[in-house]
Amino acid sequence: MDTADQIPVTVLTGFLGSGKTTVLNHLLRQPELNGVVAIINEFGEVAVDHLLVESSEDRLALLDNGCVCCSVREDLIETLADLAARRADGRIPPFHRVLVETTGLADPVPVLHTLMTAPDVLSRYRIDGVVATVDAVNGAHTLEAHSEAVRQIAVADRLLVTKTDLASEDALARLEARLAAINPVATRAQVRNGMVDPAKVLDAGLFDPSARSADVVRWFDLASQAANAPHRHADHDCDGADCGHHSHHAHDAGVSSYSLIIDEPIQREAFARWLDYVAALRGEDLLRFKAIVHVAEQPDAPVVVHGVQHVFHPPITLASWPSADRRSRLVFIVRGIPRQIIENTLCKFGAVSRAAIQRSAA
Amino acid sequence: MNRTFADTVFRNGWIYTSNRELPWATCAAVKAGRFVAVGDERDVAALIGEGTKTVDLGGRMAMPGIVDIHNHIMMGGQADLYELRFSNADSVPRIAETLHKAASAAAPGAWIVGGQFGNNLLNEMNTTESCALLDAACLGHPVVLRDDTYHNRWASSAALRLAGVQADTPDPTDGEIGRDLKTGTLTGIMIEAASGLVERALAASGHYTAEMDRAAVARSISVLNTYGVTAFIDAASMQPIMAALKGLDDRGELTAWAVCAMPVVEPGFMFGKAGEDLFALREQYRGAHVKPDYVKVFLDGVPGAKTAAFHEPYLADPVRGCCFRGSTMLTVPDLIRWLGRCEKLGLAAKIHCAGDAAVTQALDAIDVVRSFNGATHLVHQIAHASYIAPDDIKRFAELGVAADLSPIIWYPTVFLEAHKAAMGEERAQRFWPNKDLKAAGALMAGGSDWPVIPIPDPWQGIEGMVTRQNPTGDFPGKSLWAEQALDLATVIDIYTIDAARAAGLGQSIGSIEVGKSADLIVLDQMIFDIPPDQLADTRVEMTFFEGRKVYQRGA
Repeated sequence: MDTADQIPVTVLTGFLGSGKTTVLNHLLRQPELNGVVAIINEFGEVAVDHLLVESSEDRLALLDNGCVCCSVREDLIETLADLAARRADGRIPPFHRVLVETTGLADPVPVLHTLMTAPDVLSRYRIDGVVATVDAVNGAHTLEAHSEAVRQIAVADRLLVTKTDLASEDALARLEARLAAINPVATRAQVRNGMVDPAKVLDAGLFDPSARSADVVRWFDLASQAANAPHRHADHDCDGADCGHHSHHAHDAGVSSYSLIIDEPIQREAFARWLDYVAALRGEDLLRFKAIVHVAEQPDAPVVVHGVQHVFHPPITLASWPSADRRSRLVFIVRGIPRQIIENTLCKFGAVSRAAIQRSAA
Repeated sequence: MNRTFADTVFRNGWIYTSNRELPWATCAAVKAGRFVAVGDERDVAALIGEGTKTVDLGGRMAMPGIVDIHNHIMMGGQADLYELRFSNADSVPRIAETLHKAASAAAPGAWIVGGQFGNNLLNEMNTTESCALLDAACLGHPVVLRDDTYHNRWASSAALRLAGVQADTPDPTDGEIGRDLKTGTLTGIMIEAASGLVERALAASGHYTAEMDRAAVARSISVLNTYGVTAFIDAASMQPIMAALKGLDDRGELTAWAVCAMPVVEPGFMFGKAGEDLFALREQYRGAHVKPDYVKVFLDGVPGAKTAAFHEPYLADPVRGCCFRGSTMLTVPDLIRWLGRCEKLGLAAKIHCAGDAAVTQALDAIDVVRSFNGATHLVHQIAHASYIAPDDIKRFAELGVAADLSPIIWYPTVFLEAHKAAMGEERAQRFWPNKDLKAAGALMAGGSDWPVIPIPDPWQGIEGMVTRQNPTGDFPGKSLWAEQALDLATVIDIYTIDAARAAGLGQSIGSIEVGKSADLIVLDQMIFDIPPDQLADTRVEMTFFEGRKVYQRGA
């Protein structure tokens, strides 16, 4: 299948009671979502009944706007393969997008790993992005009590702060600052009653080989700045060896972000080796990694690399660099990995010269 | 009992402490198994009460208990107590004769385990005729005999039946089930991994009970105690070994500190759970004196068999051609993954590296791990650190890696002769650069690798490190790379405090200091006052473990 035919998959995550299902219910009624397959946890939770026009099997429900709802099987790989087969032989209408809802308690990372590595999935689907809902009222407490909630925030591309009408401005500002400290790279939007503009959720687009490289580079430049900006509540700004030892918070302790700009071509093999080492030794702490890389062996086509913990998506090659600025941009969201270790090991094992490493996008 | 008085006071000795701050003392006091005073009469006088036992050292030398950084603690005792012994010089008919006698006396259906036959007999044994001869001698008993490399077995027909091995059983990976070249019938010979088929059947039969395992380990440790050894690392700890150590410890019968190195994969000569499955069980085997805090990684083989990994090729031979260098069993990334995993679990690694390329690879992997993980309290070891590329010498200290010096072959031996045959005399002689390691600040630890060498006598190793000549009188007048000789004080450190540090026990054992375990040995000679070639004659008069006498010479 041509890469352009890969069906985008949006992962919707968020803690129990964070308003994830409300957002999903809203989205499924929007015209932009026509012809989407929603893979949901339980039918009972999504208000499909009055929309239901056909229910051939208990796992599958066709909505009157052409959406298909199906409950996830034991295995996401099987579910996605089954959907593709049904689409191919006409048992369900053609769909152009998939929404996967993770269970509230679930760590979204295994879902992402499946989407990033399973060959059957990669041939037909691509990750569009990760959307996480955070409840404005209980979010702060949830982040303190559950490390899964921190991981949900850290891996997200887009954060939706829900129930903002129920929280004080002050509390909301504190939560936003905290989210920015954990993940300054994700976009944030406030949502009431699940009413979110689909454009704020869909087409995060970073795993799309057909994306305009100018957009991708612009994203990296903004993300690089955001990642390196000092965060107001960032007692986790992490530059030294004792990184992560002085946090007030239980579970986002030591979560920090930073970016590196490398102003020289990067040797493919050495960089791959470095990635392999990071994954092997610090994978657990590498919550999210994104990079656009100027590879020495193919200087004209930028390579986009994504990692979630120890798993990396196969590198995506874009058509061309948008300008003469071909510096590599690397953005990290980590737990307790000092920037110094990343820089030192890139020099030592990744064949990067120290002089070529810049800390800001400017 | 008065709280303020010592349990035991040693007096009137020349006590070498392995403590730089106070190298010599005449007295030491012990309470609850720990030294509470080290010095002279004035330091211990006030600690002597009515219930205090005093030990008059009579002007003899004492020193800390010795640490054996590398042995296989079950094997020696098991062979002593339960195995049919014969020489590796015995012929097949001679072995059959020995076997027949044992089989006649054995209980009906009982397994007979024996060893070690010479590995040069393997081809002769791998025939229908030899099989018939040995099988007849077995009288229907399941029998397994090990060869002198410990890698291969001969099994009787009854043993093959119990192991489920039949004519059509496929060879396992990395192993071969012996079949007569002409007839194709099973011969009972089991090469490498095939040995596991029979060994597992033996283990499943319950032939070795937990009680027997404990007795075997206790026997081995009592042998170590006679040489003054009061701590060791078991270099391939499978479940039965750890169970035996823990069982002895729970009964108060363990007379040495036992550190266990759990294999990351099943070694070629032992069978059972390994890796994560084994690590997961480690807390159930931990005891007051049992420390399952190491893993064992085998990176290559041995130089004599051309299975060690070298930078330069072995001498050409018809099988391997001109340019064979040996190879490692793990890639650098694989080793990095294992080390990373082990460090997360709080486990240090003992990495078997017999060839210089294996040493380089292990150091490279540790370099990567240190670069990403930062400093650690864990002390990884390179075992058999003997052929080392000159550029790697300084990396031991830089990376905080300890050199496990074992087996005791840093002087001319038959091993060296085999190495000369494998790689030529000049290269073979650049063996054990102990002085270079020391000068570069490496942490070094002495070990025996018993039963690779037949007796775990550290005094031979100590003499050999000083003289670089064979202390038994073999190879008279010959030295091995004499420039690499060390002075005695350094060597004693290597066998005591430095080995304790390498075993992760530097805070609690290895020197005679207040607060440390009262592991002390009394010698029959003042080793600093004798010619070096008499060091191996040193006899241990008494061995104390946690202040308790566990060995008395002549008793």
